[in-house]
Amino acid sequence: MGKKTLEIYSVELNGTKDVEQTDKQDGKERYRGLKNCFHSKKDHHTEKLKKELDLDDHKLSIEELEKKYGTNIITGLSSTQAAELLAQNGPNALTPPKETPEIIKFLKQMVGGFSILLWIGAILCWIAYGIQYSMNKSSSLDDVYLGCVLALVVILTGIFAYYQEAKSTNIMSTFNKMIPQQAFVIRDSEKKTIPAEQLVVGDIVEIKGGDRVPADIRLLSAQGCKVDNSSLTGESEPQARSSEFTHDSLLETKNIAFYSTTCLEVSTSPVGTATGMVINTGDRTIIGQIASLASGVGNEKTPIAIEIEHFVHIVAGVAVSIGILFFIIAVSLKYQVLDAIIFLIGIIVANVPEGLLATVTVTLSLTAKRMAKKNCLVKNLEAVETLGSTSIICSDKTGTLTQNRMTVAHLWFDNQIFIADTSEDHSNQVFDQSSGTWASLSKIITLCNRAEFKPGQESVPIMKRIVVGDASETALLKFSEVILGDVMEIRKRNHKVAEIPFNSTNKFQLSIHKTDDPNDKRFLMVMKGAPERILEKCSTIMVNGQEQPLDKSTAEAFHTAYMELGGLGERVLGFCHLYLPADEFPETYTFDVDAMNFPTSNLCFVGLLSMIDPPRSTVPDAVTKCRSAGIKVIMVTGDHPITAKAIAKSVGIISANSETVEDIAKRLHIAVEQVNKRDAKAAVVTGAELKDMSPEQLDELLTNYSEIVFARTSPQQKLIIVEGCQRQNAVVAVTGDGVNDSPALKKADIGIAMGIAGSDAAKNAADMVLLDDNFASIVTGVEEGRLIFDNLKKTIAYTLTKNIAELCPFLIYIIVGLPLPIGTITILFIDLGTDIIPSIALAYEKAESDIMNRKPRHKKKDRLVNEQLAIYSYLHIGLIQAVGGFVVYFTVYAQEGFKPSILINLRVEWEDSNVNDLEDSYGQQWTWYQRKYLEWTGYTAFFVGIMVQQIADLIIRKTRRNSIFQQGLFRNKVIWVGIASQIIIALILSYGLGSITALNFTMLRPQYWFVAVPYAILIWVYDEVRKLFIRLYPGSWWEKNMYY
Amino acid sequence: MRRQLRSRRAPASPYGYRYRLDDQDEVNQNYLADEEEEAEEEARVMVVPDLEEEEEEEEEEEEEEEEEEIEEEEKEEEKGQGQPTGNAWWQKWQIVNEYLWDPEKRMSLARTGLILVIYFFFYASLAAVITLCMYTLFLTISPYMPPFTERVKPPGVMIRPFAHSLNFNFNVSEPDTWQHYVISLNGFLQGYNDSLQEEMNVDCPPGQYFIQDGDEDEDKKACQFKRSFLKNCSGLEDPTFGYSTGQPCILLKMNRIVGFRPELGDPVKVSCKVQRGDENDIRSINYYPESASFDLRYYPYYGKLTHVNYTSPLVAMHFTDVVKNQAVPVQCQLKGKGIINDVINDRFVGRVIFTLNIET
Repeated sequence: MGKKTLEIYSVELNGTKDVEQTDKQDGKERYRGLKNCFHSKKDHHTEKLKKELDLDDHKLSIEELEKKYGTNIITGLSSTQAAELLAQNGPNALTPPKETPEIIKFLKQMVGGFSILLWIGAILCWIAYGIQYSMNKSSSLDDVYLGCVLALVVILTGIFAYYQEAKSTNIMSTFNKMIPQQAFVIRDSEKKTIPAEQLVVGDIVEIKGGDRVPADIRLLSAQGCKVDNSSLTGESEPQARSSEFTHDSLLETKNIAFYSTTCLEVSTSPVGTATGMVINTGDRTIIGQIASLASGVGNEKTPIAIEIEHFVHIVAGVAVSIGILFFIIAVSLKYQVLDAIIFLIGIIVANVPEGLLATVTVTLSLTAKRMAKKNCLVKNLEAVETLGSTSIICSDKTGTLTQNRMTVAHLWFDNQIFIADTSEDHSNQVFDQSSGTWASLSKIITLCNRAEFKPGQESVPIMKRIVVGDASETALLKFSEVILGDVMEIRKRNHKVAEIPFNSTNKFQLSIHKTDDPNDKRFLMVMKGAPERILEKCSTIMVNGQEQPLDKSTAEAFHTAYMELGGLGERVLGFCHLYLPADEFPETYTFDVDAMNFPTSNLCFVGLLSMIDPPRSTVPDAVTKCRSAGIKVIMVTGDHPITAKAIAKSVGIISANSETVEDIAKRLHIAVEQVNKRDAKAAVVTGAELKDMSPEQLDELLTNYSEIVFARTSPQQKLIIVEGCQRQNAVVAVTGDGVNDSPALKKADIGIAMGIAGSDAAKNAADMVLLDDNFASIVTGVEEGRLIFDNLKKTIAYTLTKNIAELCPFLIYIIVGLPLPIGTITILFIDLGTDIIPSIALAYEKAESDIMNRKPRHKKKDRLVNEQLAIYSYLHIGLIQAVGGFVVYFTVYAQEGFKPSILINLRVEWEDSNVNDLEDSYGQQWTWYQRKYLEWTGYTAFFVGIMVQQIADLIIRKTRRNSIFQQGLFRNKVIWVGIASQIIIALILSYGLGSITALNFTMLRPQYWFVAVPYAILIWVYDEVRKLFIRLYPGSWWEKNMYY
Repeated sequence: MRRQLRSRRAPASPYGYRYRLDDQDEVNQNYLADEEEEAEEEARVMVVPDLEEEEEEEEEEEEEEEEEEIEEEEKEEEKGQGQPTGNAWWQKWQIVNEYLWDPEKRMSLARTGLILVIYFFFYASLAAVITLCMYTLFLTISPYMPPFTERVKPPGVMIRPFAHSLNFNFNVSEPDTWQHYVISLNGFLQGYNDSLQEEMNVDCPPGQYFIQDGDEDEDKKACQFKRSFLKNCSGLEDPTFGYSTGQPCILLKMNRIVGFRPELGDPVKVSCKVQRGDENDIRSINYYPESASFDLRYYPYYGKLTHVNYTSPLVAMHFTDVVKNQAVPVQCQLKGKGIINDVINDRFVGRVIFTLNIET
């Protein structure tokens, strides 16, 4: 594991060494990073990958390609060829990461946790029987049964845990299969739709706008094709694709489209589709190779797994040391070795909470279910808690924090900036719409726009309608639709006579319309584009509906507004119009867009409009919650620093009153170097800066600033950041959606993939999937995770308590020689019978105080099972329970004739089956079987004693600090179900199965059920006192020692 | 506040100061932690009126924190693999030294003592509670009569001689193989010696219960059961109880149960037969007393405390003619109204099974 990480890490350094400032080069460098990644893989892989990367398919001409793949671009492959190739190369799908074979998973459950101890117990049982058998052929089979029962317990709990695991994995696999992909392919000269899995190399496929590219494809014909490579490179800008060979590198040439990227648009003329030839399928695609790279990053142990291991170590340590200690004591007390072995078994069984791990599994899966309802799908059960202990969240920007769609945020007209509503439904547009300028502006917005709603969506809310067109135009279309109503109708009324679409040289878009005013025969020319370009073309400006000459002061105002909006990280567009004079341009005038036979200067400037991908409305609140919960939210994005900072500010990742070093420098008018770095709480770090940082500098950055935004980061830098955070002993959650994120997702303590935008590779690498892509869901997850940690503490405390009550009888039995107060089987009935449902019920307990106002737990200091918990459970409540149990036991024996005084050192005679006239305190004589029956009654009594006190224990465990009465005794109904189950199971065992001798239960006299009640009350009162002192003297010695 | 306290004590030990510096770094690493804690502390000072006490408490906390820190430090150093630790041992020595000699640390010993005292009181009171409970329990239980006797009823049966086995294997011609039976029987019957019985116990009328009304705590008299009642099996005439002739005597007694009374007019009888196999393996058995029954006058039993000299009645079985050189399983059952002798699990209730293997 360590080695692999190192490899990737070193690649990071190389890969990002030369990230350049400009967009384009930046992208290239990312590619280089990727390439380096490939080279760094293991040797045999490297060979293979090199070969793949040296593919020259993009350089070949179509004819050469046809020859190479034995295909024809008109007729496609024949079905037989395709079938052959499919059989040869396998389906076109990513191989899911290597799963541990089911049998190994199963066996792991069988030997994990306490199972080893129980196996030892079982084997000791059989050994004991073997010894007995060798001495006496007719020895009883009790030990064999006990051994079998122990083995059965291990196997059953193992099967149970395995089943639970399998169930939660299944949720994921069904989820994966929800999205079958189709591909449009030409085979046997026919166009067919087939599942994308069946594509083979050489297939000719057609892609429409909006399709996912079904394999690595060499484009053969494509007009105005744009692909979204963000899942591969993290670039959010659409990339143009054409059929020309533009670059030597396969990764950079324009005529290759990659598997699993999305084709955003293909120009409608002449065919509306792009055609390409499949050159790589499945795992041999570029994305497939990255995905397999991610599987090289090993999974770290989850915090809860570490905690449970720690706990198992504690309990096993106690069990083994007490076991060995008493083995020695027993031997030195002249017990036979055989007896000593049997004692050892008893001690192990009493010490091991057999049912606990199953309970923990159930508890976790209950929470997982609850979280799934709140849109957090948990793949790995243990991840449920990890989110709760998260101290740093590295969040992606696009889609997670933001709505992932451009939206109009600000308008500037009449020398004023207006704020538009950017919430999810746009419902609340409050800016002043009475001005004449707005009327003109709205007309330009509506008309100078090529985006259209897909038909047939009248019933869909405007914001959810699907639009054909690019992001900004979509934003404008929706904006105007919300404010003005039916845009298409307006456009119809203002018939478009000519149009120049946006292109990167013009940087403007223009269209000419007939007006809807029948009296006005003039044409209206509307134009939008880059603000400075638009302003250049204008000589007047509209203020309050009146055209005014554009003087210096208005130009100044324009620039101020432009800078301000740009400073918010928004994309700004300028709008202007011109009514063409009717005399020059009569109704019959034909406009020629190529000859530009119309004026494009001296226009009238109307306004500015800025757009941003706005934060989701729930995010600021969620970030605040994270912050109060002591979780540091770091934004890691590929976007521009200004945009990133603006979004970070608007969602609160950079809080309103904190400044970056640059901000301070600007405010104080000093150089950046002169600023005391300690004054700045926030930092915006670009990928370029990051690549120059040593790990120590990164550590310093991460510790010194509480609010950090990483912008312009290459996807691989995410991994560096995650590792940096982990060096701070933080539990790191990473959100991501692209394939490129998958190594970081895997490296993180908890990887969170986006359910909607996320790629399959990301989902595979992640531990959790956010079904609604919403950051706020993470917060609910954190809350659930913290709650489950607290509740697990309670469950464990509850479960550990009775271990002492089960253990003490054995110790006393060995030392004092009383008849055995409680049998091994009976103990198993407590651990796996009466105690199971109550301990699960604790998982339903509500939080005592606002858990979201607490700091996240320290990975190494705040243990699940700490000293206080163990001591309080074992030495306080546990001992009271043991005492209570003994009182019931002594009561039963005394009332039957054996007073405690006579019981001492009675063990040998008591257990001798040949002694059939053993005298009790009254001189009565007992046969062996009568004694045995009394002993079982004692077991039952002790069992009932523990059970009654466990009810009290259950109630006190509801809270750790608050009084039960503050928490509400009846708020958690499941607790009462648990108590009822305890009582019912005990009643069934005693009265229902009391006649089955093998179970060692007898029908207990009703009054014995109440002997332990005073002790139950004592437990409750004692714990209330403890909590009272904790509340009265916070921070005192008492709290330090008594609060677990 | 924390820092003030620290600096006040800082000169006390230069090494301690070093750790405090380290600690500050650590605190800085715990982003968020610092501020909140300070705020909390301030708040606490404001709430609690007695400032001095508070400060003391703070100091205590402080010490504990330091202790932890040092422990951590130690751990870290133990772990510290990559660091070139030239004087690591020296540092360790300093830590140990500080731990042992720093006057502040003695406080922790005091605290350990305090904990021990608290636990002592806790357990002492627990012990008191259990004693109290047991005491009240015994107040409710009569010392003369157990509250419940269902478990011990119906009576079990046991035989003598008993040598930890119910297989009687002996060779008539080898006294060594049966001598221990004789010794066991002789020992058992000492308490039945006629002289002793006559001295201690009363001769009460046969055929009826020997009921002694009166206060519970009054001493009860016991009926005589003389050794001579056993005739040939009394060991008086034949000191080897027939073992030397291959005609062993086995004594059978019924377990004592407080208050147990056999049905009136129908004393409990004993009858033995071959358990499995040929009925004729045992051709004759003589019972002593001849009635082969337990006379009613030995009932009821009033319990060990008041019925001190009670001697359990016996029935002797004299196996006068048993097949030799072969194991003969014998089952002796009690018969009578209210007697149960067929409990599957308990082979000693109302019956006893043993084997005789007499070799010649």
